[in-house]
Amino acid sequence: MSSATRDRVLGHLNYVGMLQPAIHKETHAPAPDEITNEQYRAYTRPAHDVGGEHDVPIPWEEKEEEVWEHNTFVTCEVLAWRGVWTAEERRRRQNVDVGQTQYLGLPYYGRWLLTAALILVDKQFVTLTELHEKIDEVKKRYE
Amino acid sequence: MSKNHKAAPMVDEVSEFEVLELAVRELAIEKGLFTQEDHNAWTEYMHTLGPVPAARLVAKAWLDPEYKKLCIEDGPKASLEVGIDWVNQMPTKFGTPSDYCNLRVMADSPNVKHVVVCTLCSCYPRPILGQSPEWYRTPNYRRRLVRWPRQVLAEFGLQLSEEVEVRVVDSNQKTRYIVMPERPEGTEGWTEDQLTEIVTRDCLIGVALPKPGKTSNDKRYVRPAVNPYGH
Amino acid sequence: MSKPHYDLEHHAKKATGIGDPQCFKGEAGKAKFKVGDKVKVRDISDLFYTRTPMYTRGLEATVVRLVYESPPAEDEAWDNTENVEWMYSVLFKQKDLWPEYSDTFSQDTLETEIPEHGLEPA
Repeated sequence: MSSATRDRVLGHLNYVGMLQPAIHKETHAPAPDEITNEQYRAYTRPAHDVGGEHDVPIPWEEKEEEVWEHNTFVTCEVLAWRGVWTAEERRRRQNVDVGQTQYLGLPYYGRWLLTAALILVDKQFVTLTELHEKIDEVKKRYE
Repeated sequence: MSKNHKAAPMVDEVSEFEVLELAVRELAIEKGLFTQEDHNAWTEYMHTLGPVPAARLVAKAWLDPEYKKLCIEDGPKASLEVGIDWVNQMPTKFGTPSDYCNLRVMADSPNVKHVVVCTLCSCYPRPILGQSPEWYRTPNYRRRLVRWPRQVLAEFGLQLSEEVEVRVVDSNQKTRYIVMPERPEGTEGWTEDQLTEIVTRDCLIGVALPKPGKTSNDKRYVRPAVNPYGH
Repeated sequence: MSKPHYDLEHHAKKATGIGDPQCFKGEAGKAKFKVGDKVKVRDISDLFYTRTPMYTRGLEATVVRLVYESPPAEDEAWDNTENVEWMYSVLFKQKDLWPEYSDTFSQDTLETEIPEHGLEPA
């Protein structure tokens, strides 16, 4: 068997694992009586509390660190060193406040980074407008 | 194009993450929250970290039963003897913000095998063990190790008999853990250096057992970075 | 509304040269539980944040160590550090935690830390 075939086979096995049953609702924001207590607890659960959930065996991987990942880690620790936050506040924001979708959908250090950006705004060290302008300014350096 | 013109990268070559990282760091510095020197100092501190001090702690404990008792009773005090000061070594002088100052050494016995996970995030004893591996941070490891530990350990190549109690340690608060495995057969008369060499990072997390001749973690796929950090 | 003032030196003043959680030593008062006590994990609300994992709720465990004193994470995450509690390392049987856990490995255990307010006598 050619390796292109094996690549396709393995890719297919990975992809079909992502198929989920689809329950499509006609509209969002249900009425209170349409939500059970169990659903309430599921929607409001802290996203990081995953111990004991089902999952499948996967290949255990190591990973090269990106420059931005290293810098993000250091920025988060230095913000705590200089008293902007404690690690525990960072975890609460980064692993729970981000919400279920970002929690599972974004890269690990992506959440660290978004959380570091937001703490500057939330604690009013920076206005959101300043952050927006700075992001725009940085992007323009790459044009 | 003139010979002095350097082609700029296309906008879609730089990621949103890279842009935001720069924006956050520059704003924090502009607003006086920290300095570039602070940032560099923490990078330099991170460069000093790795698994050897934890390995040496285990090797020393194998050779000295009194030191082993200290390791079990007072992890931070035992760490001092391998050159790790959980409070003062890092620029803060109050420990690292994320790793705190409460190391617990979990000593395996012939009947008990420990393995560590942080189900809630990826807490890890960085000051004595270095940065955590990618697999340790995955929701997958964090979901499964607490409930199917023997299955997960088998995936790492470790199968334990039914006489052994597998004790999963969920590192969910301020304590940080390393595992002190049992000293393996075939190491009689070994020096501390020789013993240190076979206590790998994977042994210290608890997903591997030390063996004579095995001086590195099992080979695994290393996912490459787009712009890898190298130092 | 005026802007809040943040004392950026607060933690450094408390913990420099001492460490964390060492800096909270003595603030929790008398520990409610001792090593060997049988305790039960309270199934209190986990709304907005918890570090007492869901999988431990409602289950009995044995106290194996009084580890340190600290504000609970649920409070520290909002910078509320006035109420310091004892943190206990407690031991569960895997067969109690998971109904499908094999009898062959009935001696397997799990150890994790829970703050005093998360526990009640078994």
